[in-house]
Amino acid sequence: MRHWRVDALAAAMLVVLLLASLHMISAAVQRSEELGQWFIPLLLFTVVGLVLLFALVGWNLGQLLRDYRRRVAGSRLSARLSVLFLVLALLPVSVVYFYSIRFLSSGIDSWFDLQVDSAMEDALSLSKLSLDLHKLERLKLSENLLNSVEDSSQTAVALSIDGLRETAGASEMSLFDVQGKVLAVSHANPEFLAPTPPDGGMVQQVVGGENYVGVANGPDGRLVVRCLVLDKAQRGLVLQALYPVPQSLSELSASVQEAYEAYRTRAYMRGQIKFSFALSLSLVLLLGLFAAAWAAVFTARRLVQPISAIAEGTRAVAEGDYSKQLPQPKVEDELGLLVSSFNAMTRRIARAHNALQENRRKLQTQHSYLETVLRGLSTGVMALDAEGRIQTANRAADQILGVELGDLEGESMNVLAELSESLQPFVERIVEGFARGVREGRAEITLYRGGGRQVLLCRHSPLETEADAPPGHVLVFDDVTELVKAQRDAAWGEVARRLAHEIKNPLTPIQLSAERLRRKYLDKMPPDDGEVLDRATHTIVQQVEAMKAMVNDFSDYAKPTKLQLKSLEVDPFLAEVAALYEGGTQHLTMALDVPGMVVEADPVRLRQVLHNLIKNGLEAAGRDGHITISSHGGEEEGRDYVEIAVNDDGPGFDPDLIRQVFEPYVTNKTKGTGLGLAIVKRIVAEHGGIIRAENDSDGGGRVVLRLPAIGSTHTGEPSVQGGRA
Amino acid sequence: MNAITRLLLFAILFSCLPLVAIADEGVDFRRVALTLSEDGRILLDAEIVYDLNETVAEALENGVPLTFETHVQMRRAEAWIWESDVVEHRLRTVLRFRPLSGLYELRNLSGDEQLSFATRAAALGALGRIVGMPIVARDDLDLDQDYLVQVDVRLDIEALPLPMRPMAYLDGDWSLSSEPWEWRLRP
Repeated sequence: MRHWRVDALAAAMLVVLLLASLHMISAAVQRSEELGQWFIPLLLFTVVGLVLLFALVGWNLGQLLRDYRRRVAGSRLSARLSVLFLVLALLPVSVVYFYSIRFLSSGIDSWFDLQVDSAMEDALSLSKLSLDLHKLERLKLSENLLNSVEDSSQTAVALSIDGLRETAGASEMSLFDVQGKVLAVSHANPEFLAPTPPDGGMVQQVVGGENYVGVANGPDGRLVVRCLVLDKAQRGLVLQALYPVPQSLSELSASVQEAYEAYRTRAYMRGQIKFSFALSLSLVLLLGLFAAAWAAVFTARRLVQPISAIAEGTRAVAEGDYSKQLPQPKVEDELGLLVSSFNAMTRRIARAHNALQENRRKLQTQHSYLETVLRGLSTGVMALDAEGRIQTANRAADQILGVELGDLEGESMNVLAELSESLQPFVERIVEGFARGVREGRAEITLYRGGGRQVLLCRHSPLETEADAPPGHVLVFDDVTELVKAQRDAAWGEVARRLAHEIKNPLTPIQLSAERLRRKYLDKMPPDDGEVLDRATHTIVQQVEAMKAMVNDFSDYAKPTKLQLKSLEVDPFLAEVAALYEGGTQHLTMALDVPGMVVEADPVRLRQVLHNLIKNGLEAAGRDGHITISSHGGEEEGRDYVEIAVNDDGPGFDPDLIRQVFEPYVTNKTKGTGLGLAIVKRIVAEHGGIIRAENDSDGGGRVVLRLPAIGSTHTGEPSVQGGRA
Repeated sequence: MNAITRLLLFAILFSCLPLVAIADEGVDFRRVALTLSEDGRILLDAEIVYDLNETVAEALENGVPLTFETHVQMRRAEAWIWESDVVEHRLRTVLRFRPLSGLYELRNLSGDEQLSFATRAAALGALGRIVGMPIVARDDLDLDQDYLVQVDVRLDIEALPLPMRPMAYLDGDWSLSSEPWEWRLRP
């Protein structure tokens, strides 16, 4: 603002000074006698002032151009307004200037027409004629006066000069010799002792024989007739007489001469007068133009300044600076109202923004808190939108599902199944629930993963996000594999413990009683009866033994085991176990394909598992049957595993029971406790593995157990292929 | 040394000074001399030749009065620039043509002396003759100091009729002035 004021003050002062200067130039032209000496200095001052004003205008225009090129807010509008104002000022001023110059030129020309020229010449000629008559008369008088002096000596003539002057009525009379030496002087005013010297040319003319007569201005401004006559009496004398022209004739002639001189001088100066007027008018025009240009730029910039400020403010707000406040214009007009409204708006926006920031900060805090909580949860949490697309998931969900869910944001749940086939049941169940429109639900889903069986306990509930948007879903799932297993083990252990307790206790008395009966009465009974007794007691003892064995199995199953884990190389271990069956009637074939692969297992328990499976296989294959023990490795979800399979060429599993063969008391054998495969499964589970039973398409059954591999000592040895009988 | 001897010495000294006839435009110094009068005043005698060009002559014939100024200046030779002159004279004379009488009129503005001449040449000749113009009394000078005397002549444009001045400043024909005539003097 200070800059504007200084600029305006400087320009206004300059314009005022220039106006004063132009006014004084005008005064100098009108009163040239008094102020003429100031004309040129004022002219120079005006030119310098105009140059300064031009520089000021140029500087302002330069600033405007610079702002325009830099696309400063408001510069375009300023430029347009400036040009508009300038054109509006330029057009009328130019028209006035053009016609003023024309009128001036024609007006000055009209001063000097032919008639006035002719009249002035005529007036001068008339005055000359009138004066010529007077001059001739005075010349004649002077000649007669000189001739009337009859004394031949110069001295006599000199002595009579006063009389001659008085006789002739001359104001001055003097006598010279032909060399111009003054011989005598007579003046009407006795104070004048020296004669008015004649021009050398005049004297020469007279000496040459032609008397001189002329009119000149006297010291008092009155015209005088100067006569120079040569003495005809050959006395070598020249008489000069100055006669005052009669007052009336002198005044009239002087007036005519003055008017003629003035007219002739003006006529001569016509061009200069036009030039002076044109110069003055041009200076006025330039002052007007420069002042108008400066005023145009200044006014445009001042007018646009609040708009520029608003544009700047708007830009600042758009860039996020909500604290922007514009200086309030002093003038209370519409622009001032606009500025105050803008300031009020930015204040409100700033308040709202601050509140928003505060809310966002709180929200972020809550979000961080929630994230921390979710991250710390061992429960998997997954948020899905209404279409079942994954929105977010916590780390536990990644760990439980074995998938980086963060990479799958926005993807459908089906992508999970594509990434990992083992997640298919999980995905199907969830998607099916969504398809059925289930809003809330709970389910236990069992997955068969590379690392074994996995039981997930899933809960599903709607997730309200936005008021008018369909609700999404939130899935919460826990890996309850261990829990389920522990529960089941605990349940079966309890059953087994009770069975052992309830059954085992009476068995020993029964057995002892039967042995005692046999011992006491066998010898005393007749042979036939004795044979019956012997067979009966033998049967009782045998069955009691069988029951004891069964109860012991139960005890084994119920007994909590403590694994002695070691690193076992699978293939040698299988070969070692299989070696125990050499020499049997059945064929046993080895197909080992995981050389060097190592699992972490309790060798006793794993041997028990293998014996159980081989024994089951041999039983299923019959006397001439054929079983195959094979091993192969694989990788699922980044984890290596080893699969050990025992195939037999028996009838295979009953398709109706194949899913429950590992449950206790599920068997298709005529003898046995039905706990063999249950114990096998439990041991495999305790090793973190899974087991499955299946039938070959070409007949025969197969039990496959999968154990997680912990490494390999692979040396590139070929796989073992061989058979034993 | 009596006054007559000193006068003679001065006359010889100044007469030996080289005459300057350097013209700028239309004004020449044909002869310039300083003499010591009997009453102890230093006098200037000069003969200046005015050669009016066509433009100036035309203006004169059309009644425009021409004012010529002879500027005489005396300063201490070692004077600083801000030091005032010891003596400064301006002899201003107006030459104009009177159409009624057909005479050229010379008027001395300082002395109110007025002379008329039948021809322009005679008027310019009279204008150029400066005889015994008193400059300064010798007693007013410091006899141990050197002084610089400078004489120059010019046509005073500022005295022209006002409408003619701007053009006269711009038109070189109106720049009638002499080169300064300058010499060192020890009184």
